[in-house]
Amino acid sequence: MEERKDAAYFKKLAEQLMFRLTDEEAEWIKKEFDTLMGQLHLLDAVDTEDTEEMIWPFEDETTFMREDTVTHVISQDDALANVTTKIEGHFALPKVVMKDD
Amino acid sequence: MIKEMREDRANAEKNVREAFEKAQALQDKLNAVVTFADIDAQLAALPEDGLLRGVPIALKDLVSTKGLRTTAESNILWNYIPVFDAHIVDKLRDAGAVVIAKTNMDELAMGGTNLSAYSGPTHNPYDLTRMTGGSSGGSAALVAAGVVPMAIGSDTGDSVRKPAAFCGIVGVKPTYGRISRYGILPYASSLDHVGYFTRSIEDACISLHVLAGRDDRDMTSSFLEVPDYLKELDSDMHGRKIAVLGNVVKNLKNPATIKVFNDLMDALRERGAQVDVYDFDEDLMKAILPAYYLIANCEATSNHSNLDGIRFGNVVKGETMEELMKNTRTNGFGPLIKKRFVIGSYGLFEENQERLFRKAQKVRRKVVDAMKECLKEYDAIMAPASDNPAPHLDDSSADELSANYLIVENYMAMGNFSGYPSMTVPMGFDGDMPLGLNMTCRPFEETTMFDFGKAIEEITGYKDMKAEVK
Amino acid sequence: MEYEATIGIEIHCQLKTATKMFSGAPCTYGRKANTAVNEIDLGMPGTLPCLNMEGVRKAIMACTGLHLTIDPLVKFDRKNYYYSDLPKGFQITQQFHPIGKNGFVVIDTPEGKKKIRINRIHMEEDTAKQFHLKTRTLLDFNRSGVPLIEIVSEPDMHNGAEAQAYVEALRQTLYYLGVSDCRMEEGSMRCDVNISLAPKGSDVLGTKNEIKNMNSIANIGKAVDYEINRQKEVLDAGGEIYQETRRFDEKSGTTIAMRRKEGTVDYKYFPEPNIFPVRLSPEWIKEIQDHMPELPEVRRERYAAEYGLSAHDISILIANKEISDFYEKVMTFSKNAKGVCNWLLGDVSGWLNHHEQNIETCALKPENLAKLVQMVDDGKINGKQAKALVEDLMEGKDPAQAAKEKGMEQVSDEGALREMVLSVLAANPQAVEDYRAGKDRAVGFLVGQMMKASRGKANPSIVNALIVEELKKLQ
Repeated sequence: MEERKDAAYFKKLAEQLMFRLTDEEAEWIKKEFDTLMGQLHLLDAVDTEDTEEMIWPFEDETTFMREDTVTHVISQDDALANVTTKIEGHFALPKVVMKDD
Repeated sequence: MIKEMREDRANAEKNVREAFEKAQALQDKLNAVVTFADIDAQLAALPEDGLLRGVPIALKDLVSTKGLRTTAESNILWNYIPVFDAHIVDKLRDAGAVVIAKTNMDELAMGGTNLSAYSGPTHNPYDLTRMTGGSSGGSAALVAAGVVPMAIGSDTGDSVRKPAAFCGIVGVKPTYGRISRYGILPYASSLDHVGYFTRSIEDACISLHVLAGRDDRDMTSSFLEVPDYLKELDSDMHGRKIAVLGNVVKNLKNPATIKVFNDLMDALRERGAQVDVYDFDEDLMKAILPAYYLIANCEATSNHSNLDGIRFGNVVKGETMEELMKNTRTNGFGPLIKKRFVIGSYGLFEENQERLFRKAQKVRRKVVDAMKECLKEYDAIMAPASDNPAPHLDDSSADELSANYLIVENYMAMGNFSGYPSMTVPMGFDGDMPLGLNMTCRPFEETTMFDFGKAIEEITGYKDMKAEVK
Repeated sequence: MEYEATIGIEIHCQLKTATKMFSGAPCTYGRKANTAVNEIDLGMPGTLPCLNMEGVRKAIMACTGLHLTIDPLVKFDRKNYYYSDLPKGFQITQQFHPIGKNGFVVIDTPEGKKKIRINRIHMEEDTAKQFHLKTRTLLDFNRSGVPLIEIVSEPDMHNGAEAQAYVEALRQTLYYLGVSDCRMEEGSMRCDVNISLAPKGSDVLGTKNEIKNMNSIANIGKAVDYEINRQKEVLDAGGEIYQETRRFDEKSGTTIAMRRKEGTVDYKYFPEPNIFPVRLSPEWIKEIQDHMPELPEVRRERYAAEYGLSAHDISILIANKEISDFYEKVMTFSKNAKGVCNWLLGDVSGWLNHHEQNIETCALKPENLAKLVQMVDDGKINGKQAKALVEDLMEGKDPAQAAKEKGMEQVSDEGALREMVLSVLAANPQAVEDYRAGKDRAVGFLVGQMMKASRGKANPSIVNALIVEELKKLQ
């Protein structure tokens, strides 16, 4: 079940990931995408009919949870240490338009 | 080397300064360092004791260091100065180690060549026209060049073990959860391991002793006690069983690699080990690369969504918040990273997940089940870490998804799928270039792995082997 | 046409914990910006989540109080989207394995009690707070990572009153359990209401609209009813309902479209790799469930049995947990359940509202309120006098002492009162005549004269009896 996507598709996808692609980059991605799609038969060749996804390398359940005590707070200066635009202790951004959630 | 340095208390400061100066002197040739650390402050605060007291070390530039720039070789983090230390930084400092530098790597650790580094690739100390391999190339180069006896790397597919092979040193990826990942910039969380390089098995033992142990800040960190690896070291091979990974060895093409490996297996047999060729299902082995590619990039695209220029990083302004984010990320990531994020994101789309991401996760389980089965009978799985020595820097095929060497150059991701301990040690040379052997053992049996490593070290004599940088 | 509205509600509640869901930084409200954070809440590279036990405990309490089945294997997932208030670029939530499933609450409707089913409760983390200025947006991450539960109802409600009763019932339960502060105006409880209309009897659902940003429970009923009407009018006029998010505008009492939804957003959910599944031991869960604070529904039944109060009184009492708790304290000193209830909900609550104080921090002592009620019951003071003592009572004074200071003690001594009655009768011959002529209301007039003569201190019931007795003698 191979799939074909054009460069424009990847440009649009990149926008969702909050970056832009040049034409060359989009073409380059298309090439690798086609290679990957070409390799999917390698995955499909493995019968995983009754196999669960493996999400973690080890699946022994744990019981540890953190106690609800304050252990670590950083200063406001540290919180804002890596930005240049700050106003009264806040991170300052260009205006954010209202969004759904 | 670590033990000698530690015990050379009178010269602790001199040793550290020498390492620092050597790293600086080699920088033009190797390009192994991103940022040099302030060693004076650390020397002034040296603890009285510690397994690494007065030992100069280097950290891959994805280890969070408070007050010391941490770029992960990405433009987007080029000015990022963390406000916290990674767990291992605390451990290393407490043990008396002195960080001399943050080292070069592939951008965000997403590569196997070190070519994608924002500041340019690291050069192989054995041959400056060749790669170190990646992504932990800078750390590998500093250890191989004899600058530091130990350096930290990270390993998501083979990012410690491949460069170790290309640079003729020991590269250890312990069991998943053995070393806390807190403060290590991620690639793919379920595959990421903290690893390290040394030039001897003893040093590998001492280093793990320092680095390993439970950290409550990493919920995947293991509660198992940390043994005294050095004390338990035993190179007697009688009764040990080795599974040679048939799928790899039968696909080797390089005569030097074949000969060196076979000779080494013979030598292990002579020392009393049982060595058998063990074949995994070939289809399963061929599926490792696409499965790895999908899992790693699906997780990575999510993991790096925090790099948006809002709270830290190399921000590029914009009229709106969305523009600011887009400008920052467009400017901040190299093309390889963008490519992987796009494809990873595609794999995560709801309509694609079953066929791509979840399919890859199921294949992962099949691979791990097969490894488990093999290691029921055998103590270690072994194969050459690569067919050929380090490629030349102008090898353009690197880091492209390709059908060449599907198994041979990609199988080590098995160790990341399973989380089992895996290590590369030098096994010989192809001309002037080193070749490495990889081994994988049962989970949390690093002691067994070091036993094999020690036996091989005794056979080859490759202990404290240093490249002479020309 | 006749329509039926279908309403489902999603509620986000901040859990009352000392620290964040996945970091050891404190949960606070109203603290200086970005001073209750650490690197985890800011999504800095290399940080990892570590689950807060208390967050899980509070979620278990919520699930138990709302009758959900608890999944003892806790798992988390990532919800991926880019937004300035979401530091990691994903939210850790429980998409695939919520901690609780299939519960309910019971609400009162004009048709009687009604069960509203709850589909699920899951744990997640809050986002940062944004302040939109004219040209800029400011970000404060103190709220980032605060533990949340999301409670998702089944679409079992059909009008504003039911929706409002549902939210009120949830609020009461979560508040009584100490799970959450449930302050809608501070955002510690947030409510999204989904409404769709379909022709009555149709089994096809209409297009869903979502109303957000309601800052009080009282607005929920208004917003829902407005929205139902609006949709009805659109449909009747042959118009089309678009799938959109609307907000309630308190001033105009209307809902206003914020944005139209185009398709569904793909959040690319996948299991969180940094948190291994956590197994909750049955003993731990049981221990939590065995030590739950009293639920409002249990209190409701107890008040009926113990105090014999009306359902109406009980509802008003328990709607405010602090008032209700105080009531119980007063009742340890009093036998007049109804009387104490009236005083507490009437004059005391009025005073608190007027002075913007609350029952917990005001100076009123439970034993003093009991004493006041007793004084009235004993006829030592009358109702009007009692009201005049509220100010003193609320300042922490003993009502008996205060009454004495104000010279309010009633004269109940029969001998003294009889003398006064006789002189009042003598001074009012016309009234005596009226009584003889069969006009009973003359008694009332004479009692009034007595109270005047005694400056309000005469015990009115004794006075009444004495007047009638003396009038009869004169007949």
